[in-house]
Amino acid sequence: MSRKTERLVNLTIALLATKRYLTKSEIFRTVDGYEGTPESKERMFERDKDDLRNLGIAIEVGTFDPLFEDESGYRIKPENYQFQLGDITSRDIALLSLAAEAWRGAALDSSALSALVKLHAIGIESDSEALPDLAPSVLSSDTNLGSAISAINSRTVLTFNYLNEKLIEESRVLEPYAVASKFGHWYLFGMDLDRKDVRSFRFDRINGALSTKGRAGSFTIPSDFNIEDSLEKNSLGNSVLLYLRQGRALGLRARSRETVDYKAPDGWQSVRIAFQDQERMIEEILWYGDDVVVLEPESIRGSVISRLQSGVDLYG
Amino acid sequence: MVEKQSTPLEKAARLLDLVPYISTHQGIALSDLAEEFGVSESELLSDLNTLWMCGLPGYTPLELIDLEFESGYVSIRNAEILQRVRILSKDELVVLLIGLDLLRDSIHTDRSDLLTAISSLQSRIKELIGNVAEVTPIVNSAHRANILKAITSRKKLEISYHSLIRDTVTERTVTPLELSIDHGYEVLEAYCHTAGAYRTFRLDNVQKVSISIEDSQQTGEPKPQSELHLQFSISARLRSTLERFRLSLSPEVALGMQNFTATSFSQDWLIRNAMSTLAVTKVMSPDSARTELAHRCRKTLDLYQSPKFHALP
Repeated sequence: MSRKTERLVNLTIALLATKRYLTKSEIFRTVDGYEGTPESKERMFERDKDDLRNLGIAIEVGTFDPLFEDESGYRIKPENYQFQLGDITSRDIALLSLAAEAWRGAALDSSALSALVKLHAIGIESDSEALPDLAPSVLSSDTNLGSAISAINSRTVLTFNYLNEKLIEESRVLEPYAVASKFGHWYLFGMDLDRKDVRSFRFDRINGALSTKGRAGSFTIPSDFNIEDSLEKNSLGNSVLLYLRQGRALGLRARSRETVDYKAPDGWQSVRIAFQDQERMIEEILWYGDDVVVLEPESIRGSVISRLQSGVDLYG
Repeated sequence: MVEKQSTPLEKAARLLDLVPYISTHQGIALSDLAEEFGVSESELLSDLNTLWMCGLPGYTPLELIDLEFESGYVSIRNAEILQRVRILSKDELVVLLIGLDLLRDSIHTDRSDLLTAISSLQSRIKELIGNVAEVTPIVNSAHRANILKAITSRKKLEISYHSLIRDTVTERTVTPLELSIDHGYEVLEAYCHTAGAYRTFRLDNVQKVSISIEDSQQTGEPKPQSELHLQFSISARLRSTLERFRLSLSPEVALGMQNFTATSFSQDWLIRNAMSTLAVTKVMSPDSARTELAHRCRKTLDLYQSPKFHALP
């Protein structure tokens, strides 16, 4: 059962040790494990190359003599095989190890474990004494998060079903660009191929599993794509002027950027708060009941009043 | 540990990682090595036996990797080619990039040495894979560490807690019991000595944590609290409204279902959510909730009708 494992390791050693390209026939002759008919050796070798590539090991193809149409050969360049973060201190190892620990029990914990093993294999003791006491945790165990990250890295198109505001499934086709977590939610960003625009999606609104479509390497991420800009795309510089009852509406109070020089009745303060989504802003104002009064804009004040009136009609 | 069978590819990846690891940890105990790689000792022995058969073409003792592990301690020779630590895969780099984000936001600004080290590591990673992930954590990792430490050392905690429902920040002494996930939010289950009852605290609303010198006393069994149910219908904004009431989303819900039941230990939480969604929800029961909603709507509306709260002309 370990013949394949052995052959993969032997192939890696042979291709890594060689200073020149090895031809296929040299490989079949010298690397242990290639057996059977020429066709089955071919098939074995093709699969092995794909497998190594999946491990992130890039095999170079080249010819001995560029002047002649020679048989092509293979090798693994050491710089494409070895740990690539350059010089690392024991403090860096401590930080990176703690960063990997954050994934314990979460999606992608197998990638975190293999990264940890590599970090420890460097042989520099981790200087965890240098760090304050921190317990980072990723929390998300959504397997779609792992699939999305792999698809972003391999530039593979994703398809999925997304629940719209009416809870109806919409099928989406996306070139995935990035993932982000903000406000306690995970988001997926990318080019929506049907809507021809960069869109964001909340992972917890994706119904079922993500699937890949087509081949790896089928798109590039535009160099001007920026997660921060995409998150704030809907922000149009809207703001609302509120009276807050003294000592109340702490959540809103914490978000007010400026104190406003606007005379408030005794026992109240006036604040101005920026918002992105008007509907969410109105809902938040109503959450605080009679501890918040909207002054402007008139559209929001009017909305709040008419909703309160409908509440009186409905429940009164 | 659950014994799971590795695929030949996973096994090959592990063998490639074992070589540099053993090379820098010569004489490591088999059991420690198995733990580091997350495999059973028998799987590790099978790995080592396979590795023994590997080497440079020729495969004479001169070319084969030389392993010694019969003593229960592992050492390796003649493995120069594979001694390099393997390249980090792109998925591994993303994992580290995100983990570093989580750390950075919890490190105090007076540790500029660490913040500089983190940003240097992150920019090296981004150079390799691009800026494909970004995390703004809502929970402070130092708070979590303190809470976990108090749970294991059985100490009380002093916390400063912002309750969104009560709209207050209070100082509390609590005996921490466990961390868990509630509707996607990380929460601390604790006995609150200030309230004299069991309480659940959302970690993202914990503003300060310090470990008390007092040992946590034994507390009684959790008192079963009675859950409250709110029955209501939704006329629009179905997804946002269900999310707000922490009800699960599925397309089946949209078909036919008109009435929903939200459940909570807190009447105030249910009422505030119903206030927020006045435009799209209609509460049917209980009657006490309807009465309270009418009361809050009227009181708030009164403010708008008072000349004190009119917008400036």
